[in-house]
This record gives sequence, C-alpha cells and structure tokens, in this order.
Amino acid sequence: MTDAPTITQAPVLALTWRGQNLFQLTILAPPGDWGDPGRLAKLRAWGQPPAGQPLLDRPFSVHRYRPGARELDFLIRVVGPGTQALAQLRPGQTLQITGPLGQGLRRLQPDFPQTPLYLVAGGVGLAPQANLLDQLQAPAHLFYGERRGQALIDHDYLAGLAPNFTAISEDGLGYGQKGQVTEPLLAALNQERRAIFACGPPGLLTALAPVARTYKVPYWASVEAFLACGLGVCLSCSRALTDGSRIRLCQDGPVVDGLTLDWGKP
Amino acid sequence: MIDSKPQTPDLTTRLGSLTLKNPLIAASGVFGYGLELAEFCPPAQLGAVICKGISLEPWPGNPGPRAVEAAGGLVNAIGLENMGVEAFLRQALPPLKATQAVVGANVIGHELADYARLARILADSPVDFLELNISCPNLAQGGLSFGSDPDLAARLTEAAVNPAGPKPVWVKLPPLVTDIALLAKKVANAGAAAISLINTVPALVINARTQRAVLGNLTGGLSGPPIKPLALRQTFLCAQAVKTPIVGMGGILRAEDVVEFILAGATATQIATAILVDPRSPLTILTDLRTWLTREKVVSLASLRGALKGANNP
Ligand SMILES: Cc1cc2nc3c(=O)[nH]c(=O)nc-3n(C[C@H](O)[C@H](O)[C@H](O)COP(=O)(O)OP(=O)(O)OC[C@H]3O[C@@H](n4cnc5c(N)ncnc54)[C@H](O)[C@@H]3O)c2cc1C
Ligand SMILES: Cc1cc2nc3c(=O)[nH]c(=O)nc-3n(C[C@H](O)[C@H](O)[C@H](O)COP(=O)(O)O)c2cc1C
Ligand code: FES
Repeated sequence: MTDAPTITQAPVLALTWRGQNLFQLTILAPPGDWGDPGRLAKLRAWGQPPAGQPLLDRPFSVHRYRPGARELDFLIRVVGPGTQALAQLRPGQTLQITGPLGQGLRRLQPDFPQTPLYLVAGGVGLAPQANLLDQLQAPAHLFYGERRGQALIDHDYLAGLAPNFTAISEDGLGYGQKGQVTEPLLAALNQERRAIFACGPPGLLTALAPVARTYKVPYWASVEAFLACGLGVCLSCSRALTDGSRIRLCQDGPVVDGLTLDWGKP
Repeated sequence: MIDSKPQTPDLTTRLGSLTLKNPLIAASGVFGYGLELAEFCPPAQLGAVICKGISLEPWPGNPGPRAVEAAGGLVNAIGLENMGVEAFLRQALPPLKATQAVVGANVIGHELADYARLARILADSPVDFLELNISCPNLAQGGLSFGSDPDLAARLTEAAVNPAGPKPVWVKLPPLVTDIALLAKKVANAGAAAISLINTVPALVINARTQRAVLGNLTGGLSGPPIKPLALRQTFLCAQAVKTPIVGMGGILRAEDVVEFILAGATATQIATAILVDPRSPLTILTDLRTWLTREKVVSLASLRGALKGANNP
C-alpha cells in the first residue's frame, strides 16, 4: 500500500452528529494506508488564503476506515473556525485532504491486533481508538473520560464503538460515573496488566507514563501539537525524547512510545 | 511570416553571479533541508531553495507550543532547531544538490566568529550561496539581535564575506529597525551580494481566558498575509537606497504578490508561509505568474522592477 501522502479533493459521503458539538464526517478515502491506528490527515473545507480563512489546514486523526467501501471517518469536535467550516459540509460537496500523515501504532507494535489492550481516551481523543478497536482480535477495554462540563458524546454511539468500556466524567454530569479516567484504569491494571494506548489532553498522557512504568506495561500515546505543515518541514511539532534526540510528531508520530518521550519538555 | 504565438515571458533572474531559472525561491525554515517536499514541489523547478538555518553545532530549538495562527497569519517560535553544519553537509546537501537545484544555506550563530567559521566551512561545500540570518540574538550584546545595530550588521557581513570566498553572501534583514535603508546600505557596503527581506515580525499571542502566552517561548515571529504591506514598504525603501539586488518576501501567496514585490524594487522573491499552507504553492504561483505576464503583455520581469508609480502619477 502506498505510504506517500497526496493532496486530494475528496467527496463528502455523510455528516452525522454524535453529540452536541461532535460530528462524524465520512468521505471517500483517497489512496493510502489509513488503517494504521493513529494516522492523521489535514482537512480544508474553505478557500485558499488570503480570502479563505483560517490560513492553515486542520489536522485530524482517522476515526474509522472501511477499506472495502473506501470510506474514511473523522470524529470532529467543533472548537473554532476550521471545525465550524467542516461541520457545514454536506454530502456531495468536496473537501481537500492531505494524507495519510505520520505513523500510527503499527510501527511500534506490528502485531497490535493480537495485543490485549487498555485504551484510554480523553474527550475527542476517542477518535483514533475506533480505528484500533475495529481491527483488534485480542481483549480490549476502553476507558473514556470527559472533562468538567464537557458532555461530549452520545451514549449510544460510544457504546457501539467498544464492546467493553468504562465512561467517566470529572463532574459526573457527562456520561458514566464521576471521577478521573485514571481511577478505573488503575483498578483494571491491579486485576490484569495490559499495554496502554492513549489519546487525549497532554495532562492525561503525561500522567499515564508513570502509571505504565509502575505496572511495567508498554505505553503508546497519540500526542498532539500545533502542526503548521504536517509534512515534516517546519518543526512546529518537534519533541524531545528522554535520550535527548528529537522527533517530529507529524512524521515520527503522532503515536509515540510513551516511555521514551520526554514528557517534561513540551 | 508573423509569429502569432504570444511570447512566453522570460523569467530568468540574474542575481549578481547567480542565474536563477525564475524569481521564486523557497525561503528558509519552511522547506526543511530541500527534499522533504520534493513530491509536491521539485526543488530544481524553483529559482533556488534555502535550507533551514544552519549553526555550527545542532540547536534544540524552543519549548512548545512553537506555532499558532493569529490575525490571518502564522506566529512561530521554532527557535532555529537544526542538525548543525556537519550533518547538513554530510546527509542533507548531497542528495539535494544531486537534483540540480540551486541551494542557499541560511546561516545562524550567536557571535561574529560563528558566522565567520560557518562561512569558511560552507566556502568549500557545494552550496551555491549563503544567506546570513542576522535576526539571531548576539550573546556578546546581551541577546540583542545583530540586525538591530547597522554597524554590527556590517561587521557581521564583513566577517562572513571573506571566508566565504567565491560564494555570494546574502544578508537577510529583520523588518523592525529604526532605519531599514541605512541597514541595507551598511550591509551592501560590507560586501553583501544580495539583500533579502523581511524576516518574521516580532509578535506576541495571548490567550485572555487562560491569561497565558500561547507560545512556549512567549514571543514569536509573525509571517504570512498580514505582513505583506510592511514587507513591501521595507523592500521599496531598501531598493531605493542600494544598487545591490533585493530579494523580497513577506506574505507572498499569489502571482500578483510576486509582481508587487518586483514593482517595489525586488529582483527575486521568497515564499515561506504559503508553502506551509500548500506545498505546491510555489509551482502554482510560477504558472500563474507566466499567465499574468502573458496576459498583461509584459515580456520580462526586469521591465517591471522598481517601476512602481505613485497613486496620482501618470
Ligand atoms: C495529531 C492531531 C490529531 C487530532 N485529531 C483530532 C480529532 O480526531 N478530532 C478533533 O476534533 N480534533 C483533533 N485534533 C485537534 C484539531 O486539529 C483542532 O481542534 C483543530 O485544528 C481546531 O481548529 P479550529 O479552526 O476549529 O479552532 P481554532 O480556534 O483555530 O483552534 C482551537 C484549538 O486547536 C488548535 N489548532 C488550531 N490549528 C491547529 C493545527 N494546525 N494543528 C494543531 N492544532 C491546531 C489551536 O491551537 C487551539 O488549541 C487533532 C490535532 C492533532 C495535532
Ligand atoms: C516556521 C517558520 C520557520 C522559519 N525559519 C527561518 C529560519 O530558519 N531562518 C530564517 O532566516 N527565516 C526563517 N523563517 C522566516 C521566513 O523565511 C520568512 O522570512 C518569513 O516567514 C516571511 O515570509 P512569509 O510571509 O512568506 O512567510 C521562518 C518562518 C517560518 C514561518
Ligand atoms: S508540523 Fe511541520 S514539521 Fe511537523
């Protein structure tokens, strides 16, 4: 399968709301290996600058991929002008997509479908988890956490993504019980040790590194940064590893080995 | 027989001893080490490509976040992360030169001696020219940038021109100085083969809700569409002040923007932020520039250079 990213105009197939501010965007997939969990694409549904704003494309993880039907899903939370413009798309319209970009879990764990996992998602960090869950043949449990006042996702949609999951929200007003997503994860790790795959806000991802060390389990994290190019040239996404070397999250990530990333150096 | 075909405009651009295919140059910092975007924009199709700023030793760059969008432009504080000159010459440059691209090395340092040593090293390399980034903090002067003092900028230029031997040395000016024309004159007299401008505009982006600066480095540099009028004005003032060729940049997104810089007095132009928006943009601009010149019946860009008229002049 081809690995080089392309810039394509892709038809929109569907746009389905999955929460008050959260929608699933389905497009016809351009050629590329979209099944590697954690890989991303840059999307643009507005004109070229200076008239077309925002200036830059916006990056999103692949949510689900159905290679047979060549359907590619994104799960997008509306937060600003770019995501607002994407939310206006209708079937039949096209958007510009650049990708596939970066490396998913496959490079770090080639036999990931056979790996028993704890999946940890903070908010829209849920997006890439579905691409992984769709391919898993081993036991998996999803821990999904929402911030205070977030109430992001429709209950039924979440339940349809993962056979086994625990939902938790900081204020107990969202979906599920009240608390931090790390609490049920720790309880599960005390029962059975499994590798962790996480995507979410930096605080969550940072907090999971000592957890993985304590329980001596592998830890893979999909890490966000402001991506100005997504193509490896601008170094806006550069991060340090514990050995002092540096990686570009848009090329060598966004999925990284959470035990070698230097979480103390943003 | 009368040739009915419209004449294709000649885009060949002479910059001192260098002859470029066309006046479009990929600017430093947005084209990596020249080959990363080759699938989208083959470097040999451009007038030249300028590599990421190169220092004597590798630099780690700034803590993140390193970039953010603001006011329709981009504010970045990458912090000049780079692999250092040794790795640049060993790994990055040979495959890039093999494409026949014209290659400039953007040179950065913390003191005059760094620039002199880099010039000496690059003199014996296959790079086609040097571009001194004089916006770096000068450690000997408490971090004030070299470009903020015209005499210091001239000394820096001199320090690099001699050791660079036959390689043309361009000097890249920062936008915010008291007297840009004086700065241009000083570096021209010190031996600059070309003057490129502008570098990014110092900027600060604040998040009111969190009451924090958005960038890890607090401040950064603004680029893209919002800086074009400032860049055109500084280009114009420098072109009036010196005979040395000017390479203009700042907010170029379209062919018309290139024409505007040429009218202001530039001989060639550089493209930075537009490449981050779309890596194919230099080639799009090149095609559109040909179309524009043909439509406007302009046979060579040189005929437009510095041809700016006042609003009420005939
Ligand atoms: C690797 C990666 C994967 C992502 N996956 C998803 C996903 O699956 N679903 C989802 O809803 N969101 C995802 N995001 C976040 C998404 O890119 C931002 O929410 C989006 O860019 C916001 O754009 P906006 O114009 O709507 O909002 P803005 O108001 O412009 O920005 C809102 C926030 O998004 C950040 N942002 C803006 N532009 C960029 C950019 N070019 N790169 C990175 N961050 C940016 C801003 O810094 C700010 O914090 C991902 C980000 C990254 C880096
Ligand atoms: C992400 C980024 C990195 C940059 N890195 C460098 C650099 O290493 N050296 C340099 O001289 N200029 C650097 N610049 C400045 C650009 O080369 C250019 O001067 C500036 O962005 C204005 O042009 P533009 O408006 O077309 O972007 C950088 C700009 C950006 C956006
Ligand atoms: S986003 Fe530009 S190098 Fe990664």
